[in-house]
Amino acid sequence: MFQGNTALIGFDKAGKRFGTLDAVKEFSMTIQDEEILGLLGPNGAGKTTLMLMMGTVYRPTSGKISVNGLDVVQHPNDVRKMIGIAFQDPRVDGILGAFDVLNWHLKMTTNLDKGEREDRVEKVLRAVDLWEAKNKRTWLMSGGMRKKVEDCKVLAQRPKIAVFDEPTAFLDVPSRLLMWKMIRELRDEGSTVIVATNMMDEAERLSDRVAIVNLGKLVAIDTPEQLKGKTKGGEVLELTVGNGQEFPRECLTQFSEVQDVKQENNKVTVYLSGGRLLLPKIVETLTNRGVKIDSVHLKEVTLEDVFLNYTGHRLE
Amino acid sequence: MSSSTIQVTDSSDLSSQSTSRLVLQMARRDIATLFRTPWIIISRSLAFIIQLFVFAYLISGLVVKFPGFFPYYAVGSVVSVVASISFIIGYDIFEEAEEGLLDYLLTLPIPRREFIIGRALGGAVRAMIYTIPMFAIVAVLENFSNPLSLIAAVLDLFLLAFGVTGLSITVAVSVRSANRFDVVLALLELAVSRASTALYPLAFMPSYVAALAPFSPVTFAADSTRAALSGSSLDILGLAGLLGFVAIFLGLGATFYFRRLEGGVYA
Repeated sequence: MFQGNTALIGFDKAGKRFGTLDAVKEFSMTIQDEEILGLLGPNGAGKTTLMLMMGTVYRPTSGKISVNGLDVVQHPNDVRKMIGIAFQDPRVDGILGAFDVLNWHLKMTTNLDKGEREDRVEKVLRAVDLWEAKNKRTWLMSGGMRKKVEDCKVLAQRPKIAVFDEPTAFLDVPSRLLMWKMIRELRDEGSTVIVATNMMDEAERLSDRVAIVNLGKLVAIDTPEQLKGKTKGGEVLELTVGNGQEFPRECLTQFSEVQDVKQENNKVTVYLSGGRLLLPKIVETLTNRGVKIDSVHLKEVTLEDVFLNYTGHRLE
Repeated sequence: MSSSTIQVTDSSDLSSQSTSRLVLQMARRDIATLFRTPWIIISRSLAFIIQLFVFAYLISGLVVKFPGFFPYYAVGSVVSVVASISFIIGYDIFEEAEEGLLDYLLTLPIPRREFIIGRALGGAVRAMIYTIPMFAIVAVLENFSNPLSLIAAVLDLFLLAFGVTGLSITVAVSVRSANRFDVVLALLELAVSRASTALYPLAFMPSYVAALAPFSPVTFAADSTRAALSGSSLDILGLAGLLGFVAIFLGLGATFYFRRLEGGVYA
């Protein structure tokens, strides 16, 4: 389990510019040894760029990134030996079967002899229920099967630093749960795991800590519980109001229990405490002001609310 | 999978991993693609036989000014095929970059220089394997049986293949637009093969082609291979030209690779 002991990876004001676009900007963060860090952000937030800079595929245009004390620009070969990356879109030779894809990957990334290698490939493929299809060309596989093959590259490699980009995209629910279990096992065996995702439940259920990334910047980083705990009030009231209505924000901020109010189109999110007692008063006040309320939902803070609170928009 | 059976890879274990082994693995990957579609080798060999026994025989009968045209053409067409097949590695790399497979390959623990050498080597060996059946047909037909001559000729062909893969890789990582890449590589292939002494002697070429042909790597290889197979002498100039060609384009390919790919051009 994650002990939160030593820093293994460090981003120090790292940036990456493609032409005029800053994909990552002034990004500083440390990743602890043997933790699962969830990188949570919408598509285009810069998650993949961050991982590819750490993996020495892209060179940072500013700042520094170090892995186990080694600068990724100065020591790319040593850094690559520690890292395995499973990409968001499967990067596999379509003409090869799953067995050959994994076998070749292990030839390039490990010192295992033939017997050990083939044994490990078999174990992983059996675990994800792909053994029967081991020789099926990957371009003939379904999206879910191909995604499993991509994840299996890293699961078979057992690198010191394992990176998974959207590891459960295209997977059905049982496969998602299995993949999470296998990723946790990898961490328990000593790997440091980075999981880039735009799925709240994946970030929340899998990660020891979550880093919220938006527009190439680090917005917040902490354990899911701490992130939720830091969110104002501890409760969230979601209101859907009539389209086109101007929402009288001050109606709600007059209550001392209301910490913050955010509106996106006809969705209003109220961060508050003591929601159960306050709810009737809020509804009454808004109704008296002529606001048409279509729905009301009171709940505890989720990572989605945390994301909305920090970025001002929902993760969709 | 369970934690009791598999341990995390210690990166210090990988430091003993021989770089030459990784180069060979990269090369083997490219070579293996040829054997996944063996019908291509078979169909191209058949096409070569038809070209030789129909077209070359017919034309050599018509060419009165050059009595030894058939063996000249036969050896030259083998050289042309080597050059043509060696260009394919550039298409492979360009396609890999477009599909994102190159990003994956670049995450593997192989130094960039060795990565390029492995790709070029794989492309060159692939071209040689592809051409060997055609070379054997010509050798039997023309009774080329001196082992040293045959080895020297194969060396010439290999150097050409190695250089052309370097050239092809250079173009693949220098041009970003797919359409432009196709046009540039096709024109380049046409130029080095057609503006050369592979299929017709310098003396019979139009002046504008004859001015360029002596500088084509295919000319170096064709002249050098013919000299080796005839057993007359070693074509030092051709061999030196080929070595220079390999050194320049493999070096250029590597340099462009470093600059382009490390900078994330394909993002």
